[in-house]
Amino acid sequence: MGEWTWRAFKIVQSLVERLPRPWAYALAVMAARFAWWFSPLARPRLEYNLKIACPELQQDPAALRRMSWLNFRDHAKAYADLMQLPNARVETMRKLLKVEGWEHLEQARAMGKGALVVSCHMGSYEVVAAIWSATLAPVSFFAEEVEPRPLFEWYRDTRARLGISVLTLDHGGIRKVLDALREQEMVITAIDRDIIGSGYLMPFFGKLAPIPLGPAAIALRLGTPLFPVCVYRLPDDTYMAEGTPLVFATSTGNARADQVRATEQLLRRIEQFIQRHPEQWHVPHRIWAGSP
Amino acid sequence: MRVGLVSPYDFATAGGVNDHVRHLAVQLQKAGHETRIFAPSSRSDVGFDAARFYRIGTPIAIPANDSVARITLSFHLANQVAAIVADERFDVLHFHEPLMPALPMTMLRMSTTANVGTFHAFAHSNIGYYYGRPLLQPYLAHLHRAIAVSEPARDFVTRYFPDFPMRVIPNGIDLNVYKPGLAPIRHLRDENLNILFVGRLEKRKGLGDLLRAYRTLSTRVPETRLIIVGDGPQRGRVESFVARHRLTNVILAGYVPDSVKPRYYNSADIFCAPATGAESFGIVLLEALASALPVVATEVPGYMSVLEPGRDSITVPPKNWRELAASLVILARDGELRRRLGDYGVQKARRYSWETVAGQVVEVYHEARRALAAQPATEMEVTGVHHAV
Repeated sequence: MGEWTWRAFKIVQSLVERLPRPWAYALAVMAARFAWWFSPLARPRLEYNLKIACPELQQDPAALRRMSWLNFRDHAKAYADLMQLPNARVETMRKLLKVEGWEHLEQARAMGKGALVVSCHMGSYEVVAAIWSATLAPVSFFAEEVEPRPLFEWYRDTRARLGISVLTLDHGGIRKVLDALREQEMVITAIDRDIIGSGYLMPFFGKLAPIPLGPAAIALRLGTPLFPVCVYRLPDDTYMAEGTPLVFATSTGNARADQVRATEQLLRRIEQFIQRHPEQWHVPHRIWAGSP
Repeated sequence: MRVGLVSPYDFATAGGVNDHVRHLAVQLQKAGHETRIFAPSSRSDVGFDAARFYRIGTPIAIPANDSVARITLSFHLANQVAAIVADERFDVLHFHEPLMPALPMTMLRMSTTANVGTFHAFAHSNIGYYYGRPLLQPYLAHLHRAIAVSEPARDFVTRYFPDFPMRVIPNGIDLNVYKPGLAPIRHLRDENLNILFVGRLEKRKGLGDLLRAYRTLSTRVPETRLIIVGDGPQRGRVESFVARHRLTNVILAGYVPDSVKPRYYNSADIFCAPATGAESFGIVLLEALASALPVVATEVPGYMSVLEPGRDSITVPPKNWRELAASLVILARDGELRRRLGDYGVQKARRYSWETVAGQVVEVYHEARRALAAQPATEMEVTGVHHAV
């Protein structure tokens, strides 16, 4: 199955990377429509998550359907962006990015301890990361190792071409993250999903969910500031990277409590991001107990 | 000085000549000279100060020298160029590949200022130079001074135009960009030994030999990785070779932006340049040396004008993948040798810094201006044949 998934992905990707961007998006929207109708699990899970993130949708099935469709559509466009990365040029992408809250990143970098950019699964990260990597400082993604292996390698090599290192969520990866931050680089990670199953149960939109404490633990250890950033797509298919004030993990002697406190602050920001752009929170996965 | 730099190649496409022109323009500007670049371009945005770049003509791809040259062949450049040249009042016009149609030849034909030409190319033969000598000779005579980027490049020109005086000034390297100690691509720094290839994926770069050598190497030294940076017409063949022989740990990075390329050098342990012949210099060798990488390269004239075998590199005969594999195995197994070659390479790269190279080029500009003052130039006589190019 893995081999065929990879081959199918590569065929589609080879086609999409040759298309002009508007055509690639048109194809993505068609694929999104198909997936929205026929996905057995992704759509129910996404709608379950959206109902928790935006309680008003529980009372309005039509709005929920519309929101989940918009989410599928934007998610497909994000995939189209990813598939076009092998031919993407930073100079071209730079024109498509708008930035707000830049001063917070400057503040983080001025501290000389790297920057741990924390966000959620929203928008086209690669675009922002590639531009930052080309213009500011080397960027690493702290990310899951997707299956099958060739697909992961493609993701990794494609991002590397734009100067983004992809570090896996294992001991070797964590060591490299520490090295990168010590050398004042930027590391980007998301905390809205517990991928390796070691998350700490804490309220996320008021309901207990396992949340990774890793970023807060690293920030505590190195004194690195945590920089919550929201990346989303604008109606004209350009991108917005919106930075918010830094979160500092401070030590009181109780490491776990300190990690939880910093992570809670991050989660409140992440919740705000998601509530402002629920149509772009691309998580058709199980986050809370009780999800389909 | 006001200097106009003329490139015949599509400025939107990366390549040795355009990189040279770009760096020289920046360096001259830093030294207080006013520079403008003239080149055809397939895109309006070429990543260079638009106020100092004149986009002249639309490039088309033409097979040349086992590669593809993207040049303009427009017959309607003259009026546009004449107006700009008259307006800019250059002290020096510096033509890169001055005998390449159509932009350099058109501008050279109408220039009345000091003309300098730089010859970058090398090939075993050139049918255009051979049969075009009577037509091209007047253009050469219109150059006040000429530069070749290497001895092979000079020999290539003088084979067809004997007694044509040329000074060898090598390509330069930006030592602020290419240096050891930059952040690597972190996931590439693991237990594997990384062998790096950088260049267009075309036949003359010898990537087929490197793939065969890597196949042998990976059986002798299992923890190795081949990183191929660059794109080109041979990409499909490379992919099918890798698939057919089930080669593991081969990364086809494709086109890598200039801002990221130095980090690939800093992620590698060995640099390999297996070109089969028509290389006049090999800027990638300088990039590797400046990044403290030991080099395994083929003994083609252009590379040998840069390398010192045994001190900064191991060299092998071209098109001999067995010797290439043996050299890679030796270097892969000997960390001390890699370090020694790399250390020497860094020292040596300083000789090729753009500051040094641009200083030598400015000397040539002054010589050209003195030559012009001694014998004022007029526009070349325009014949029907000249119009045709």
